[in-house]
Amino acid sequence: MNVYLLQLINGIGTGMLYFVLAVGLSIIFGLLRFVNFAHGAFFLLGAYGCYQLAQLGLNFWWTLLLGPLIVGCLAMLAETYLFRKVYKLPHEMHILITVGIAMVLQEVVITQWGPLGHNVSPPEALQGVVIWGDFVYPKYRVFVIGVGAMMALIIAAVLEGTRLGAIVRAGSESTEMVSLLGLNIKRIFSLVFAFGAATAALAGVLAAPIRGVDPFMGVEALSVAFVVVVVGGMGSFAGALVGGLLVGIVQSMMSTIWPPGANLMIYVAMATVLLLRPNGILGRA
Amino acid sequence: MKYLTPHRFTLLAIMVALVLPLTLKSGSLATELLIFAMAALACNLLLGYTGLMSFGQGIFYGLGSYSAGWLLLHFNLPLLLAVFSAMGVGALAAAVVGWFSIRQRGVYFVMLTLAFSQMFYFLAYSLKDVTGGDNGLLDIPRPDLEIFGQVVLPTSSPWQYYSFVAILFVAVFIAMQRVSDSVFGRTLLAIRDNEARAAAVGYNVKAFKLMAFVLSGAVTGLAGALHAILAGISPLSNIEYHISESILLMTVIGGTGNLFASVIGAAAYVLAADWLSEIWPRWMMLFGFLLIAVTLYMQQGIWGLLEKLYKSFRQSDSGMEAKSLTAGKDQV
Repeated sequence: MNVYLLQLINGIGTGMLYFVLAVGLSIIFGLLRFVNFAHGAFFLLGAYGCYQLAQLGLNFWWTLLLGPLIVGCLAMLAETYLFRKVYKLPHEMHILITVGIAMVLQEVVITQWGPLGHNVSPPEALQGVVIWGDFVYPKYRVFVIGVGAMMALIIAAVLEGTRLGAIVRAGSESTEMVSLLGLNIKRIFSLVFAFGAATAALAGVLAAPIRGVDPFMGVEALSVAFVVVVVGGMGSFAGALVGGLLVGIVQSMMSTIWPPGANLMIYVAMATVLLLRPNGILGRA
Repeated sequence: MKYLTPHRFTLLAIMVALVLPLTLKSGSLATELLIFAMAALACNLLLGYTGLMSFGQGIFYGLGSYSAGWLLLHFNLPLLLAVFSAMGVGALAAAVVGWFSIRQRGVYFVMLTLAFSQMFYFLAYSLKDVTGGDNGLLDIPRPDLEIFGQVVLPTSSPWQYYSFVAILFVAVFIAMQRVSDSVFGRTLLAIRDNEARAAAVGYNVKAFKLMAFVLSGAVTGLAGALHAILAGISPLSNIEYHISESILLMTVIGGTGNLFASVIGAAAYVLAADWLSEIWPRWMMLFGFLLIAVTLYMQQGIWGLLEKLYKSFRQSDSGMEAKSLTAGKDQV
């Protein structure tokens, strides 16, 4: 089988994972104008949740549900008791408080699970490969692509088809206007924030069997999520999808051409997009 | 005394450089403190005076330490030349990173600096021939300070090297103070306070921001170089995100309104790290909480806190007069 075709499919798999990672960051920013530098830490918690629950012998499918749920609740608490107090402050303060949270969470993870990485094996049903003719591919990665696509569909359906989605879309145009309409904007903020954090945790749970877990994967993920939203355009759902896929494919292709440069290349891609389209591929001026 | 007032911060900085040898036992700890104070000063020029929050200071710090280490290892350059070349590399990198990042404003700028800091980390990691990859550069020599072949200042003992760094620290502090007091510095403040207005008045906002960025990169590169020469190694961790985060942390905790605040922030960080790391390896958690507290309750950092204390002290000093004034206000 053609190695480039394989890498393209690999890239789509990574890209879907990146989409799940970045979409929450993008939606939170769109509605709240709040940059969440703790997004990577939520991803980290999701990944370690996957590791810990597997250690406890819990079924992977439960983890897939519980991990994001727990992190979502934590994020809701953080939103209610901390972030809400700084919404009105300049964005530097948003960044600093979330950086503080991320630092604390990373240290908690190291205290609890040690500074070294661990491996997580995929669930039994998803081990091995699928074979269609001369196409051979790991089952788990097919599963990740499936989950990513499902998330994309669900989020698109909620954004386009429900009342909540309409409010979120309206809010990303003008938050003030939405609060003037008499909606309980605080509750919606909390909900959207928890949802964004939960998607980051879901990405963490999904990523753990692929790359293992280590305490510094949060920063790496945060940076990748930034690249994705800068490339795709901040605050837009479709931007996160296009950006995620592009970054995933670039990284994957590069790993055949020059393996050490695979991680480097996504930043070069970001710089190129910035030169050509400063607001991202789907960003508005 | 009046003549000294405009120079009071410079005097404070000189005093810090003089007092450290009397109070600290370890010369390398004192040197590290001054090195990070320089890095925090450079960060403060961006954050406090230009309104640019940079998560990319580690890029210039790391490149400074790599280039000084590389030049000393392979070319045996004189000390000053190696250090100044590292400054140049820092400035150049800042020009490139700044040119890309400054095209964006607000949060996008911050996100870009963080992304670039990851990029340079992977770059250093990939170019194993130059940077030594995971191991970093080892056995970097520390030549004496020579001018025209004459040894001016030996640097072999920790306190000798400290005096070299202390001179540079005072020089950097004076230079930064002058920059911030100059028309250029005032323009940066104007941009920080109201970018749209500064642009409307006719200033080329992007060019000013870029100049501040380049200046900051040069000083941070210098700090990185001095650290590599201090430690004798330039590890990969010198260009990691963690360094960027630490430099920003020192600056924020110290306070951004005033350059001397950065010296306090760096001192607090370096000394706390030294004391705490022995008792509690996860001491960074404390700084995480401190950062949250700073955001919520003391946004002017330690410096702001000191200023408030000083003011309330002065107020109670001037006694009845101040009290009667506030009492009058209450009635109205």
